[in-house]
Amino acid sequence: MSRVIYWGSVCFCTGFMILPLVLVWPLAFNTSSFLTYPMEGFTLDWFRKVLTEPTWTNALLNSTKVAIGSMIFAVLIGGLAAIGVMLTRRGTQMVLSVLFVSPIVVPTVVLGVAFAYAFGRVGIGGGYIALMLAHSILGAPLVFLSVITSLRGLDPNLDLAGASMGASRIYRFATITLPLAAPGFAAGALFAFITSFDEVVMALFLADPGSTTLPIALFAGLRDRLEPSIVVVALLLSLMSLVVLVLINRLQKRGTKTVL
Amino acid sequence: MSNALRNPHGSRLAALILLSIPVALYILVFLTPLASVVSLSLDNSALGTGFATLRAATEDGDADRRAQALLTDLGAMEQKQLGETARMLNQEKTGFRSLILKTGKEADTIAPTMDGLVSFDKRWADQEYWGIIDRNIGQITWRHYQKATGLKVDANGDLTISKGDDIYLRVMGRTLLITLQVTILTLLIGYPLAYGVTNGTRRVSGTILAIVLLSFWTSVLVRTTAWVVLLQTNGLINTLLVGLKLTSEPVQLIFNRFGTLVAMTHVLLPFAILPMMNVMRTIPKSQSDASRSLGAGPIETFLRVYFPQSLRGVLVGGGTVFILALGFYVTPALTGGPNDQMLAYFIADFVNKTLNWGMASALSVMLLSTVVLLVAAARIGQWMMSNRKGIA
Repeated sequence: MSRVIYWGSVCFCTGFMILPLVLVWPLAFNTSSFLTYPMEGFTLDWFRKVLTEPTWTNALLNSTKVAIGSMIFAVLIGGLAAIGVMLTRRGTQMVLSVLFVSPIVVPTVVLGVAFAYAFGRVGIGGGYIALMLAHSILGAPLVFLSVITSLRGLDPNLDLAGASMGASRIYRFATITLPLAAPGFAAGALFAFITSFDEVVMALFLADPGSTTLPIALFAGLRDRLEPSIVVVALLLSLMSLVVLVLINRLQKRGTKTVL
Repeated sequence: MSNALRNPHGSRLAALILLSIPVALYILVFLTPLASVVSLSLDNSALGTGFATLRAATEDGDADRRAQALLTDLGAMEQKQLGETARMLNQEKTGFRSLILKTGKEADTIAPTMDGLVSFDKRWADQEYWGIIDRNIGQITWRHYQKATGLKVDANGDLTISKGDDIYLRVMGRTLLITLQVTILTLLIGYPLAYGVTNGTRRVSGTILAIVLLSFWTSVLVRTTAWVVLLQTNGLINTLLVGLKLTSEPVQLIFNRFGTLVAMTHVLLPFAILPMMNVMRTIPKSQSDASRSLGAGPIETFLRVYFPQSLRGVLVGGGTVFILALGFYVTPALTGGPNDQMLAYFIADFVNKTLNWGMASALSVMLLSTVVLLVAAARIGQWMMSNRKGIA
């Protein structure tokens, strides 16, 4: 009886999680333009269409630009914040951590309104810069958390050993701490990159026609007309997420290995 | 490293230098925009600037001076500003538009006394109009919040809710309802999965964890896309239903509450599962074994030994989902109908369609403060729980 409940619920819930994705992906290869089964035949035409149509290619390019820019900003802000916070006392650490993590909690719509208004006032209304700044605020907390976790996990004796042999603070930081925390930085950077690459709500407020990102194009396409090229774009986006997931997994494993 | 970096002298200066850059950027690019939303929701420069003379005259309280000041202000307004003023005052009381436009047009010819105004249009004798003007010419205004809540100050200064004006109150109620429903659904579906990850065999656990992480990392928009494709009128599920002869014609599965709930539950599931998993990992397996060896059946063991200990995870997971769901925009916008849209949709709508920044920011402030209060309450709750544990 309890076995039945266990297996029944686990299978149902697992199915609910994975089936929507698994069922939809094959439709990207369907010859028919109707997004349903049975499939009529196998084709890569939709991929060709997506990769040659300027709407999608420009959007892909814009997304990449914005994601790389905001990743660099986020790593700088979040990385400096994490290193700085580690140098302060416990009470200060708590207050500053709350500040640096807080953008995660704010609903993206609220951030969108705030940025659209504030950036508009200072004249960087829509476009790349606005998108990069906004996304870097979203990415900075992720970098901060990733870096501070890896810094906290470091063995203090390594630094003490360096100090006992007369290495200066800056030298120790550059040759011991930073290399050991590098996986934390890299994982944080990937978090920031994929967050920006997938972000749609703030982008809807901030992008101008020249800086339309891939998620915005997908969102508009979904509201406009359902066709296989939309599934192709969704498939490409999730492949991207998969690659990032695998990379982060590797980095985090490496991070823990060096600590041990 | 942490100790070595933390205590020696001189690290204070290094910390200060390192922190100055991110703190400055956070203030400039994050806190200032948020603060500007708060001030924007109270800002009344659109109405306030036009009535500078009247504002000064109102402090004396002399009726004739107020009438004169009103005429001066209205007369000085350009056609566009007059129209805008009339439109905004009309939102408080219908009929105000014509009164302001008429008075403004003839401002030069009307005798600058209260009697003159009343003889021009006897509505000016009604104190209600003056009351509305008094409340709306300050530098700050609660107008947007009044409109957002449907609350109104009546002639006696009491708060009342007028029928039909509670659109956003109903939207907030709907937002809370959908959020609550999604939270319950994610917990119901997430619990067996979290249980499977922590208590299943190696293979079950690995498979589920991989699926959860894959889902977690696939963007909200992509997963919503999958549901739009599945649920559409000629989509997979309808093809299946008709093919199995369960229905004779396609069922409406999307652009209604059903579609919204299903898609939102799917999108938010990982946020419920991961915290539950973390708590379930701390429950010692030996306790369940002990319970079984003492003669309790598997279901009784689960209900009396395992489940109570996993409740903390359920709370954290449910809280996370609730807070995230409150601000949802993309998923309901793509899978819901007009009656399934949440607060975030209306915020975006005010900005994108009508450029009504006042209303957009008032609703934003209400959404944000709800979220901040909930997060604070959750933190305090967690802190109290861990303290109680420490004492016990």
